[in-house]
Amino acid sequence: MISIRNLTYAYPEAHTPALQDISLEIHDGECVLIVGPTGSGKTTLLYTLNGLIPHVLGGRTDGEITINGLSPGKLPVREISRFAGTVFQDPESQIFMLKVADEVAFGCENLMMPADEIMRRSDRALAEMGMLHLRDAETFTLSGGQKQRLVISSVYAMGPDIFLFDEPTTDIDATGRKEFLEIVKGLKDDGKTVIIVEHQYEEFSQLADRVVVLERGKINGRVAHNTEDDAAPRRRQRPPELAVHLRLEGVRFEYKKGDPVLEDIDIEIRKNELVAVVGDNGSGKSTLLKIMAGLLRPASGEVRILGKTNPKMDDLVGQVGFLFQNPDEQLFTNSVEEEILFGPKQTGRTIDIERYLRLCGLESMRDRHPQTLSRGQRQLLAVVSVLALEPQILILDEPTTGLDRKSWSDLMDLLSALTEQGVTVVFATHNIMAGRYADRYIHLDRKHSGKGQKK
Amino acid sequence: MRYLNGDSVFHRLDARTKIFLSLTLACLIVILNTAGSLFVLFILLLCGFFLIRPPASYIRIMFYLMATALFATLISQGLFYYFEPRTPIFTIIRSDTPIIGRLTGGIYLYREGLFYGAIQSMRLFSAALLSMVIVMTTYPSDLILGLNKLGVPEKVGFMLTISIRFLPLLMEGAKRIITAQKLRGLQLKGLRGGIKGFRYLIVPLTIDCLRKARRIALAAEVRGFTGKRTEIKELRFTSLDRAAFAVMSLALVLAIWQRLVR
Repeated sequence: MISIRNLTYAYPEAHTPALQDISLEIHDGECVLIVGPTGSGKTTLLYTLNGLIPHVLGGRTDGEITINGLSPGKLPVREISRFAGTVFQDPESQIFMLKVADEVAFGCENLMMPADEIMRRSDRALAEMGMLHLRDAETFTLSGGQKQRLVISSVYAMGPDIFLFDEPTTDIDATGRKEFLEIVKGLKDDGKTVIIVEHQYEEFSQLADRVVVLERGKINGRVAHNTEDDAAPRRRQRPPELAVHLRLEGVRFEYKKGDPVLEDIDIEIRKNELVAVVGDNGSGKSTLLKIMAGLLRPASGEVRILGKTNPKMDDLVGQVGFLFQNPDEQLFTNSVEEEILFGPKQTGRTIDIERYLRLCGLESMRDRHPQTLSRGQRQLLAVVSVLALEPQILILDEPTTGLDRKSWSDLMDLLSALTEQGVTVVFATHNIMAGRYADRYIHLDRKHSGKGQKK
Repeated sequence: MRYLNGDSVFHRLDARTKIFLSLTLACLIVILNTAGSLFVLFILLLCGFFLIRPPASYIRIMFYLMATALFATLISQGLFYYFEPRTPIFTIIRSDTPIIGRLTGGIYLYREGLFYGAIQSMRLFSAALLSMVIVMTTYPSDLILGLNKLGVPEKVGFMLTISIRFLPLLMEGAKRIITAQKLRGLQLKGLRGGIKGFRYLIVPLTIDCLRKARRIALAAEVRGFTGKRTEIKELRFTSLDRAAFAVMSLALVLAIWQRLVR
């Protein structure tokens, strides 16, 4: 049993505590969902359970935590990992080894188990997660969902009774999410205690025995309702125009010869449309977006972008804006203002900086270093910095990933507003609710053919 | 170029033997100085290379590399050989040509230069073949385990593994940053553009690295990593390894003896 009594915690050098007076009891075999917006302290709470707080991250802790009568504050992290296993958000940065078999053994090796027991546990864990056939595969060849299952296998092999998941579904697609739900169900049936921290929680509501809502470091007594209506998109005032901004005809693309990622793609996107591209990982969403921005050129077929046939990226600078998934790779400068002015300065244009600061809601933070902003703010700044070039088409790859509800609905509001101003917007997303903002979907399936489905 | 599954002699050698093999061969490449002995070494390594049965694409890469290296060393050594005696075998610019002839003192292709170039390229080829053979037949984690058994601390080994694992991701990130810069209108042409681009590359790349490093560290921590661990993989030292050790040691001794005596 996990028992938390009057827990207050502050990070080193923080003025306000991240957790305030938390009291919570979690029984063996329970499945508890901890939800709340970014900055509400839900991940911090998880860190106090696996010992990263206070052992690694430091800070001041008040109150009492016991797990099965033991206090994680007094045990080394390695000892805690024997009974409480943690899986973080991004599977990529939790895989250390080059081979699946080595990775799944990693935790057990650290616990100094005898070699034959490690082999036994590894095989059992892989079998349990449906990964046994990939035992000899190389880790970097796995898909996103498989990587996550590998990480869970490696934790499972260590034999903990408690599983802690930190935003486990953020980085995976709809199929991966379904598989993850199955895994959690399996763990529950085995009698394991499961604690999941998430900001998208609709899918878990059936599995969870209890939902704990955190707000600004405190437990909010009210049980969260499904608040889908809060994020209802606004009705658009101005319908799409007739002019065609993007046209793909019979487009085929392959990274490896004879293995097309996209085939027979016919798409037409009109001026100031808002279009969502959906589909599982590996269905070619990013590739399609890159073709639409001229970053990749099709093996065959015709791409017309703003009236130019099969243009090169250099011909489209300033006219087509493209945003990669990770905003941090697209913020180069030392202040918010400089970041927005970066593009216009290169192309010798003058802009109304105030307008763009208003668009991303960062008027009061113009001198802040972009990398010190919150994840949601960084994403908005990255979008606005591309907008400052006044592109006619804006293309965004997974702009909602890793954003909480408020952040992504702010972003979607911004994108809708842009289409009202005559910008054509195409974005890829796993977030079903964010997809509702779009005028229509383009659905890609793994058979590589794209269908422009009307909503 | 990367690890290939297979069952060649090199695949069967212990990683420690292969580390020893690389060291002694590297020494041989430097110590041997006659055209004949270097040629023998080169042929042996070439046989080794083909013993692994590399795919056609690898053979092509090797061929192009060698052709370029051979051409470059032969020409540069042939033209700019400065040791006496030197025998011109071909005149490109005579010394009495107006202006250029005066300035350069004539440009000739020297026989000794070509010869010296051939020896140098033999060394280059051998070094390239050696590293290709090792990379193609040794799984990185085995090599690290080998280093480990030879006394390199486990934490250093773990660092090496992590860098092999994450370096490609870092390169991809850098590529995306550069594309993002271009899309925002940054001109990367010329030296000035390059320097400017680098300045704007290094900030996001460093910060992204630090964020990733932090995540990796936390993830390793919760999986109980402290540096001490059991290793399920074992390295096996067989009679094949003993034979390889013996042959390589003998070759090294012979090479040193030949240099000292002559």
